[in-house]
Order: sequence, then structure tokens, then C-alpha cells
Amino acid sequence: MNKHNLLLQNIPDFVAHLQTYGEVHAPCQKGENSFSFEQVTDPSRVVLDYARTLQSIRKYFLPPTERLLNFSLTDNTFTKVAIENNHRIFLGVHSYDMKAVLKLDFNFSHRTPEINYLKRRENCTFIGVSYEPDDYHFSRSVGITVENTEGFDLFLDRHENGYTVQVLTERGTEITKDFTALGEALEIPEISRQFKNKIKFNYNRLPEVMEQSWNSPVWEEVAQRCVGCGTCNLVCPTCYCFNMVDNVDLKLTDGSRDRHWDGCLLSSFAAVAGGENFREKLASRQRHRIYRKFKYITDKTGDPWCVGCGRCTAYCTAGISIVEIVNRLSDEFEQTHLRKSSAPVGQKIQGVSL
Amino acid sequence: MSTQTAPKTKPQIAFFDFTSCEGCQLNKLNLENHLLEILEHVDIVEFREAMDDKADAYDIAFIEGSISTPSCVERIHDIRRRAKILVALGSCAVTGGINAMKNLQPIEDVRETVYGKDKYLFPTLPAMPVSAIVKVDYEIHGCPMSIPEFLVVFKALVMGKQPIKPDSPVCVECKLRENECLYDRGMVCLGPITLSGCDAICPSFGQFCTGCRGLVPDANKNAMLDILTDHGLSLQEAEKRLLLFNSYKQPDTFK
Repeated sequence: MNKHNLLLQNIPDFVAHLQTYGEVHAPCQKGENSFSFEQVTDPSRVVLDYARTLQSIRKYFLPPTERLLNFSLTDNTFTKVAIENNHRIFLGVHSYDMKAVLKLDFNFSHRTPEINYLKRRENCTFIGVSYEPDDYHFSRSVGITVENTEGFDLFLDRHENGYTVQVLTERGTEITKDFTALGEALEIPEISRQFKNKIKFNYNRLPEVMEQSWNSPVWEEVAQRCVGCGTCNLVCPTCYCFNMVDNVDLKLTDGSRDRHWDGCLLSSFAAVAGGENFREKLASRQRHRIYRKFKYITDKTGDPWCVGCGRCTAYCTAGISIVEIVNRLSDEFEQTHLRKSSAPVGQKIQGVSL
Repeated sequence: MSTQTAPKTKPQIAFFDFTSCEGCQLNKLNLENHLLEILEHVDIVEFREAMDDKADAYDIAFIEGSISTPSCVERIHDIRRRAKILVALGSCAVTGGINAMKNLQPIEDVRETVYGKDKYLFPTLPAMPVSAIVKVDYEIHGCPMSIPEFLVVFKALVMGKQPIKPDSPVCVECKLRENECLYDRGMVCLGPITLSGCDAICPSFGQFCTGCRGLVPDANKNAMLDILTDHGLSLQEAEKRLLLFNSYKQPDTFK
């Protein structure tokens, strides 16, 4: 594996260099205090030091709203909308968002392949970047370190004056080989970044915790504070549920079938014809959300379907924390299903001279 | 209908206003780009703000404004009898709107403040949504009513289909547009429990949601009050914000 050094002052040139290989999409300032992945026109707008973007890069592969087909009511025909898949370079992706894309790849290629998604996933180059975990990140607890390079072609690891560039694939070599401003990699001791926010159990124990938590009072307590706005679903990089709507034009002769993101926290998500709603209560919808991340797909794949980005918590106006929910369920599980140890761990250690 | 083979007639539609600012009707005249297309499908037979004609019966009657006087009650019954489909247009007609804030004070005080010594000439009632008096078939929310939603309902009715009724909150539309949350800009916003369908137009331009479209079904008002107070409002101020467009819904159910 090749390593290079990239100085901070050379980043705009690096971005401009990347633009010769395809569209570059990178985090840019959005609003007053937020960031968003946007197509880069001005390399100086790229921000590589950021906590998280409002939406992950899933929005490129599963757009918030998407026209699937156009139809004609006069002759009862339809045509599919062509999917564009230009060469795109995603610069400044955090390891958890990359992992989320790999999870969506599984969801959309498994059993019935989702053609539009898979088509958009072609011709993509991913350049990762390290980050300093804030109060909301907890990726380490779901097995993803800051420096995890899975899925990336290049990875930029921050040091004092710039980045150590790891070249991970042939594509990575191709897009860096002619960039002359890359220097020789510095000798920097490896640092493992620490997370303040943590799930108390190892993630491989969570399906077991969830198994025992169906009737937990935690769901109702969370529901008391929740307004059911669906934000946690809509900002989640591994959520992929959608709804479809047919729209007609004002001439009433032509129309389109459109798909848009949906969320299981929304009241009518599980409503069906005939007026039945399988998850009418907020408590059952909260439980469903958590089970979707730590039980249902986890039972099948062995992996949690949460990547620890912290968006659902950071953007919840009611301040509901997914880590807090999981930890409370774990506490409850510990108290009711695990053998109580005779003394707390701390006291045992006191007996040993430290 | 004549007994002869009549040419296919267009649905006859009419617009009526009750206690309101008439802004929703004006908003329809603002549909300039679409007006001619709309008239391809329907005949407007009564529309006080735009024409003088009157008609006896309507396929679709659009109602703007809240019901707030005894004569309103009489008139809305009359319109309902003559209309096959009745659609409430805009906040006042759908939820009572800001007019219903008067319900929070004794009705006689309100009457005296507005009409002074002549108050006995003007009988008044608590402001009510149209649905409090007659059956309403469809509702178009917003202050003023949302044009895209009007078009969705209009097209569905002309095609003889059920319009899709939005029931998710404004937050959903903000997230789909990747708006920065206004709470992250130090504002408080009613988006989390306000019915969507406006394409989050206010938050998208930096204005917090005041809740003009009314509450989502089964809104968790207590949780919303907690959010507002956690973000710096007093409980009193938080309740006032929630009541601005939602006074008709029994204010004493708020905490």
C-alpha cells in the first residue's frame, strides 16, 4: 500500500486535479452551522474538517425524490426514466458513511436487485477522510473505527499539517499518480481516536438484548418524549424505506410515478387498506426503528445495521439518543436476565493491589 | 339537464368566502400560469371575488373562511345542500385558523372590543371550522392555502379519484430538501408536529414554521411543548405558539 503526504495548502489544487477525472462531490458549508455533500465547482469551498453532513451520500444513490417512470393516460403507455451514472468522485467521506453505502449495497443487491440504485452505484470513486469523534459519534461501538478504510480508493488521515494519503486501489493510484504536489509520507505514530459516546455492550450481544426487550417500558418512555416527526429515519444513512405516488399534469393526459423517502416513525407508515395500522402507537414505531438497526437485519447478517454516525440523535429536536435507548435496554437486560455478580467490578478490583 | 343528448358538460365549481381575509381566493387568482388549463376542465359558476354570476347548484363548492356568525351557519347549510362535493380551503375553513384565537376569551368581551356600543347589531359565535357545521369532503390546508395541494385535490376531483391526504409533519419535507434544521440556528419551529404539504416553504427560506397548516393526526403536544421549553421558551410562550393556528382544538387539552 502506497502512502503519501498532502499538505493543507495543496488541497484546493488536489480537488482541481480530481475534477479532471470526473464530477467531484464533497462536503461544503450549508446554512449557518451545517455541512452538505455538493458537487464542487469552487475547490476552495470544500471542507474536510467537519463533524457530519446533514444527509449522507446515500442521497446520490437513493435520491430523496425520484421519478421512476412517465406514463400517458391517453394511450396507456409508460416509459422508464433513464438513470445517469457519470464518473463521480466522492471526496471527504467518513468511514461510517462508507460502511452505510456497503450496507445499502447488500440491501439493494440481495434477492430482488434494485436496478436504479445499482446503476447509480457504478462509476464511483470514494476518498475517505478521518474525523474527530464528537459527542454524538459512536461508530467504534458498532465496529467501525475512524480509520476504517473499507470501501475507499483513497483515505486521507489528518495530521498536524495535512493528511497522510493511503492509496488503497488501482483507481486510487490512477487519480493520484499525476498529482505532483504529493510528498513522501511522514513518519507519524498511529493514533486511535477515542469515542466519548459508547454502547455499553459489544454489538454482537445486542440481538440477544433486543430479543428480551419487546415488552420493555423503555419504548413507552421514549414515546412520551417523541413527536414522531421521522427525522431519525430520514437522516439515517442505512434507512431506505420509500413511498410511491402517481402524479398527473394539469392537462390530465400524462403523469409520472415518483418515489420519495419514507420513515417508519411516521404515523401512517404501517397503515394498510381497510384502515388497519400495524404500528399505530409511537412506542411500537420506536421499537421497530431500533429493531431494524440492531435485530432484524442483524439476525440475518450478523452485523448491526447502524453505523454510529449519530445523526438521529444530533438532529432529534426532542433530544432522544439512540445510544441511551440501547444502553437502557442493555441495563434492563443485565438486571433481569444475567446472573448478578456478587460484587460490582470496581470492588473486585480493589482487592487486587493496583 | 335537458332530455336531449347533452354535450359532455364540465363540472360546475363555485367559490365562497366566510370569515377570512380572502387571501386564499386571491391565491387562486395567482394561479395565473394554470388558470386557463383549469378552465379547460371546469366551469366556474360563482366566485364573488372574480365575477358577478350566481348559480343554483354546484358539483364542487370551495369554501374559504371560518364560521363565526349565525348567518354564516345558515349560509353554509344552504351551500352544502346545493353542492355535491364540498372542499374547505385554507386554515380558517379547515381548523378555524387564527380566527379561533377569539374563542380563548369570553365572547361578549370580544364583541364589545370589536363593535363597541353597537355590539348588539352584530351577533357572533365562537369561530369554527366548516366541518363543525356541515360535512366537509376534502381539506386544503395552509395560510394561505397551498397552491400545489389545491392542484392535487383539484386534479383528483376532476378525474373522479380520492386525493392523497398528507399526514406527515413539515420536518419530513425539510429533510427531503436537506434543509439545515432551524433549531440548529437557534430558532424554535413548529415543523415537528405541523402537517406537511407546503414543501417546507417557510423553513426553506429561513422562517420558522408557525404551524399554519394545523397539527398532524395524533400530535404529541406535550412532547412538542417540552421541545419548545427545552429550547428556551417559557411554558406560557410555548402554549401561545401552539395555539396560534390551533385554538379551536380545545385549548385546555394542552398540558
